[in-house]
Amino acid sequence: MIQVDGPKAITAMEMDFGAQSDTGCVRQNNEDSFRLAPEINLFVLSDGMGGLASGEVASRLAVEVVLEHCREAEAQPLLPLFGERIGGVSEISNRLASAVRLANRVVHDAARNNGAEQPMGATVVAVRLTDERMSVAHVGDSRAYRLRGGDLEQLTQDHSFVAEEMRRGAMTAQEAGSSALQSVLVRALGIDPEVEVDVSEELVMDSDTVLLCSDGLTRELSDAQIAAVLREGDDAQRTARRLIDLAKQAGGGDNITAIVLRRAAKPAGAFARIGRLGKWFRDV
Amino acid sequence: MPKLVLKFENSVLKELPVGTKEVSIGRSPENALVIDNPAVSHYHARVFNEEGRLMLEDFGSMNGTFVNGQRVKMVTLKPGDSVGIGKHTIVISESREMDGFASGNGSTKPAAPKLNETVMLDTKERREFLQKVAAVGESAQVAPARLKVPTLVVRKGKTNQREYTLNDKLTVVGKSGMATVKLKGWFAPKAAAQINRRDDQSYYIGAADKVPSVNGQPIATPTKLSSGDVIEVAGIELEFVYRD
Repeated sequence: MIQVDGPKAITAMEMDFGAQSDTGCVRQNNEDSFRLAPEINLFVLSDGMGGLASGEVASRLAVEVVLEHCREAEAQPLLPLFGERIGGVSEISNRLASAVRLANRVVHDAARNNGAEQPMGATVVAVRLTDERMSVAHVGDSRAYRLRGGDLEQLTQDHSFVAEEMRRGAMTAQEAGSSALQSVLVRALGIDPEVEVDVSEELVMDSDTVLLCSDGLTRELSDAQIAAVLREGDDAQRTARRLIDLAKQAGGGDNITAIVLRRAAKPAGAFARIGRLGKWFRDV
Repeated sequence: MPKLVLKFENSVLKELPVGTKEVSIGRSPENALVIDNPAVSHYHARVFNEEGRLMLEDFGSMNGTFVNGQRVKMVTLKPGDSVGIGKHTIVISESREMDGFASGNGSTKPAAPKLNETVMLDTKERREFLQKVAAVGESAQVAPARLKVPTLVVRKGKTNQREYTLNDKLTVVGKSGMATVKLKGWFAPKAAAQINRRDDQSYYIGAADKVPSVNGQPIATPTKLSSGDVIEVAGIELEFVYRD
């Protein structure tokens, strides 16, 4: 059964959201990108890879294409989906998957046009919310987490070598955590002309906190440390900043990006936050 | 220390321990383990220790490297694995508890990050291998159930139907408009619990406004459902079954 719920989007006023990205303590440049589009309740993050500046280009292309495709579909609801329709999920989830597939194609084509000497790729994790439902799409090892009732749950499964080894029982979590192969991805945007996108749907509850992050955060902080920060219940922007600060204190070996989303208890505060939004956008 | 046992048919040709130094495998005499056969590439593959794990990497060989029958690019080896190269077999012997195979460092904090760049393990073989592994896992565990229809049967309580077929990735139990299993009654929660279908086609139940019980036990984390499991939440009782 295909759900054909219209875009019953919640308004920005009901959301408390914040984001922060940092180069970290070791790298010279920040290859992570993110975009916040509260007017369509879309939040997207990407971690780029490739030599010279190509990682930055790849991640920026990825987030921009996802955003553009979803915006375009808002304006023209009949815009065809890029790729196959997925059964058993909403129209909004299908649109998000379509956007990620398109981002893959754009990064792939850009890498080809670049000349083969600069191959590039990117991860992506994107969420889109309606009143009650959250669509989650991802490729690679950037993650979505949810804190509900004090318990932290990882909503995405990494497309990395160590995560797949763990899933088939060939590696323990501890071994994976100390493996030199942590950086090896088995799925990413830009590598092939087609990519398989993992899509899931989640119930949205008023008390939920959602975190999107790049592996620069999860390499430095354990799930327990992340959960402790989210449980403090500070506003979304300060929570994102706190996560980045802790990851940097722990070493900051990679670029670190965090997007924090919460249903706002007080609608009034959100207007002020929209005003502050401008400075979070980089290069828009 | 793990040992590579090179076999041809049933006879053992050579035994070679893997220490800190990697063992290169191929037809060229420069390799540590030479297999002189036209089906074997000059520099075919290598076995090496990576932080206490025994790894196998195929160097893009013409005829491939197989572990337990699956073509591989790079895998972790465990004792008892059988590595096929041409018509030869290399058996991994000795347990991983032996020296050089200590696992983990006992710390709960993630290890110091590696500063090497993220890379994409990108070979057709590797992906085909992973797909095969996934397919084997599914046919062994899920296939009999997948022919059947996942269904929730209401055994107790007020709901809008007696039975629900789980078609969607997300199924909500509650009074809310989006709920599939609709609860009735004044005090029913908007969303009592949620059931997610994961990419391996299995179903997991998780808490929402209420913490559901599965077979009488309140769940602590999202819990995988098996046929015959009884879910209790918000005063109703549901049996999860795979229907023919």
